[in-house]
Amino acid sequence: MAITSFSLVKPLRRFLDENFERWLAHRLPSRREHQLNSRNIMIYPTRFGLTYVGFVVLVFLLGTNYQNNIILLFSYLLASLFISVMLHSFYNFSQLRFYSRAKQQGYADATLYYAIKITAKKTHYDINAHFSDVSLNSPIVNMGQCKQGTQELILAYKPSKRGQYKLGRVTVFSEYSLGLFKSKAMLDFGHYAIIYPKAKSLIAGQYQLSGQVDEPNRESYQTMNSVGSDDFLELKSFVRGESKARTAWKQLAKGQGHYSKHYQTSQGQLTWLKLSDMPSNDLEIQLAYLSFLIGELTAAKQSFGLALSSDMANKSMNIPPNSGFEHQQACLTALALY
Amino acid sequence: MMLFKKKKKQLSKGTSGNVNSKTRSNFYLSRQNTWLLWLCQCLNIAVVAMELSTWMLTIIALSLAWQALLLQQNSDRATTSRGKHPGTVQSNLANKRHSHGLSKQLTTNVSPVVLGIFALLGCVAIALTAKQVGILLSMVHLLCFSYALKGFELRTRRDFYQLLLLGLFILASALIFRQDLAFSLIIFSLLILNLTVLLQFFSSEKAFATNLKVVVVLLGQSALLAMVLFLVFPRLSPFWQVPFAKSAETGLSDTVKPGDIANLTRSTKLAFRADFGTQKVPDYAQLYWRAIVLENYDGRQWRRQNKVTTNNTAARSIIFDASNTEVLPLTYQVFVEASFQKYLFALAPAVVTGNTSGITAQTDYTIQSSTIISQAKSYRLTSYLTAPLALELSPQSRQINLSYPQGSNPRLEQLALQLQHNYVDVQARAQAVLTLINQQNYSYTLQPPLLINNSLDQFFFDSQAGFCVHYASAFTFLMRASGIPARLVTGYLGGEYNGVTAEVNSAGKIVNKGHLSIYQYDAHAWSEIWVAGKGWLRIDPTGAVDPQRVNIGWSNQLLQEQAELNNSFFSLYRMKNITWLNTLRLQFDALDYQWTRWVIGFTSQQQYDLLKHWFGKMVPWKLALIIAVTLVLSMLMLMLLLHWLNRPKVKKQTFAQWQIIYHKAIDRLAKQGIEKPLAMTVNDFAKKIRQQCPELAIVFTRLSASYNRLCYQTLSISEQEKQAVTMQQQYHHFIQVLKNSDKKHL
Repeated sequence: MAITSFSLVKPLRRFLDENFERWLAHRLPSRREHQLNSRNIMIYPTRFGLTYVGFVVLVFLLGTNYQNNIILLFSYLLASLFISVMLHSFYNFSQLRFYSRAKQQGYADATLYYAIKITAKKTHYDINAHFSDVSLNSPIVNMGQCKQGTQELILAYKPSKRGQYKLGRVTVFSEYSLGLFKSKAMLDFGHYAIIYPKAKSLIAGQYQLSGQVDEPNRESYQTMNSVGSDDFLELKSFVRGESKARTAWKQLAKGQGHYSKHYQTSQGQLTWLKLSDMPSNDLEIQLAYLSFLIGELTAAKQSFGLALSSDMANKSMNIPPNSGFEHQQACLTALALY
Repeated sequence: MMLFKKKKKQLSKGTSGNVNSKTRSNFYLSRQNTWLLWLCQCLNIAVVAMELSTWMLTIIALSLAWQALLLQQNSDRATTSRGKHPGTVQSNLANKRHSHGLSKQLTTNVSPVVLGIFALLGCVAIALTAKQVGILLSMVHLLCFSYALKGFELRTRRDFYQLLLLGLFILASALIFRQDLAFSLIIFSLLILNLTVLLQFFSSEKAFATNLKVVVVLLGQSALLAMVLFLVFPRLSPFWQVPFAKSAETGLSDTVKPGDIANLTRSTKLAFRADFGTQKVPDYAQLYWRAIVLENYDGRQWRRQNKVTTNNTAARSIIFDASNTEVLPLTYQVFVEASFQKYLFALAPAVVTGNTSGITAQTDYTIQSSTIISQAKSYRLTSYLTAPLALELSPQSRQINLSYPQGSNPRLEQLALQLQHNYVDVQARAQAVLTLINQQNYSYTLQPPLLINNSLDQFFFDSQAGFCVHYASAFTFLMRASGIPARLVTGYLGGEYNGVTAEVNSAGKIVNKGHLSIYQYDAHAWSEIWVAGKGWLRIDPTGAVDPQRVNIGWSNQLLQEQAELNNSFFSLYRMKNITWLNTLRLQFDALDYQWTRWVIGFTSQQQYDLLKHWFGKMVPWKLALIIAVTLVLSMLMLMLLLHWLNRPKVKKQTFAQWQIIYHKAIDRLAKQGIEKPLAMTVNDFAKKIRQQCPELAIVFTRLSASYNRLCYQTLSISEQEKQAVTMQQQYHHFIQVLKNSDKKHL
């Protein structure tokens, strides 16, 4: 009997939760900036608040049973205090502005920090924040006093696996002034995290970068040609602003005109990081190697492409060779989402 | 029951250790707050300390001292560790954590098992003494005991909350025992302190004084709603029988020995108050407040006559028939303080008027309450001061009032026989005794010498110094021995008139002439003799020895004696001799009187009358409606008040007159369909007007020019004023032209 009732409760609960989520999504849509007001603040008594009400009733009973007006007055005062604390609680919480950027990215097992800027017009007390999703295991961040002006709260999130995560809402709450009420707002900043695979270093010589097929094997990828290396390509007439180091002095001395030397970058030796080339059978480890290599190559300012699919023509899965920070981000994101 | 439950919870928690590691890690009390909490504990218990037995007080004091010691050690360690990393905020934070860890370690020093055993022992001790002290007091003992022990296990936030609520409950239950204004104010200020500790937990960055202010504001805002609740929320009758305190009886008692009342007069406690409304307060010498009539004398002490139970209630209700008398009635209201006895006070002969429930008149012209008076109570009486008491004396009563143990005071008996022989007339005989007392070397003192076996002979012939009971006893004895029915009456004499409460209404009519406060030191004893055709006559032998006592009140000598005996700085003698202090005392007495009258004495009947007065005839649905509406209204008021207090503070821009004029002009034009875009300058807009409405061109351009001049040119104040006046004229011009052009268009 107990089991059946339990199983009945569960779907009901899920149903309620879903409905609540839908209602929340409708009422508090995702935005970068939120201002607390009566629309988005939920206020309800805490456990202590409920105990307090019970306590007030107890005092009332005491007063009634002893027909003691002063005890009755005491209980009425405590009861009215409950109401005024509720209002104080609300006004302490309202009119705060929150701003936060939605996206953060980082490697697995590293902590991500979501900064929430709080703008206050007066001093607010006991502001706490955490991610609403309990499974994220984010600690509650407390700000005892939020002074007039702008302050920053930092929420930490430490993911353990690669991928893209929606972090859901941020719960901001306060139990000021007497802990009887919890004013709460569940704000949706649209927070999400892109988690790259954790870099796993490759031992030298274990892997060779595959460049063009005909390229001779080298000892290690570290000795690869770097961007703008010294293979001379051609002379072009000097353009103002070009480095004098590149001036073809010989030609200039001969009176053939002002030319500057242009060198060939390793255009011909396009390097591709291929998933299938990674020395492991485990996909996650392969991705971890790739993550490491992307970091290394970017640090070495080397141009590379990422081929996650063995079919080189698959444009959606492969990223053409390039270099720089943005390229690195794009590649790592591709790894995260693979 | 509730208490036991709490106790059980506490015990189980003590053994099971941590409940919620998450809250535990969150819980941190600042050092200041910990000490404040400790202070709160001490003060809360001090409020009920009078009711606790000595052993319990010792235990509580020891545990509080122990807690203080632990706190002290704790903070010492914290400061030494703080010394290592001075400076930055971060290290401070780290220190907080550190000291928190220490506190945890220290509190667990008191092992939960030891605490549990201690608590169990305490409960057993309380249970054992429960019979002796009564249920109510043992409950209070239990409450205080658990409150003191709870302080040892402040680990989670829940413990903190529990401790606070226990403290508040102690404050509430302290009000069972006393309700006067001073005590209520103490309780209220302690409530503020307790709540401040709670608030401090949520805003520890704020200074203590600021938090105190916030709590006062909070309570102030709540006061409105609380008052409304107090006025309109229905008074319910008790849900179940509750144990009352077996508190020490105060005031007069059923038996009186010579010297008893002298002890009572050391007390400056209030006994009762009387309010005569608009009537004149009778002379001091007429204010014999009758409480107990003592008719049995056993040679040592006076005792009340045990009532014969056959007295039927019908006979009792017509003890004094007011319709037969032509004496002017005097109606007044009496407010008695809790005395934990049954007797009430009246100026005999008196009839209970108004609500008579719970009050019965006795055959000896005293009145009694049917229940023990455990809190302030009021009743209304009508007295016929000069009317005779009991013109007929039953043989039974006569016999009682003539009896005395033969040979108990042989010298007095002899004197009585002599008197009987010398004076045939009863009243002359009595007068002779009074003259005797007056003329011989008798003295009236608060410190009479001790009498062997309470011998009246010794007093009357040897020591010749005594207080009212001595004289009244000896006089009554003499009367009985000489064959006149006589009895001893105790009660209070006089009272202090307090005119602070006197009110004069808007029409200049006196509404209230102030009230009388009767204190314990006004306690008095006098005697009554029965004279045929006149009934019981009041004879006060004290008047023979100390006429001032009977006519005005205490003499300075008595006050001085009292001050010496009480040995207190704020003695009545000192108070009465320092004018401003005395005024202050009277002011406070007046306030306390109003408090007793309107707050303590606000009964369901009064509530009903008040509501009837405001809203007319009461019917249940109307009552419910009134309650609902007033509650909602006051809540709305509270909300509006708070909303107004918390409104975003926008600095309102003040506009000069000329600015308003220009904007008015623009508004007029907007009505005509010509709107000025915000970004457009004044000159550009004037240009636009010139193009669109040529007839307005001149006037509006002038107006704009003036506006620009006032806006952007630096002008002296007189120039500004001049320009503003010109602009005003230009505006009128503009309006006229505008109207004219309107007419043309029409």
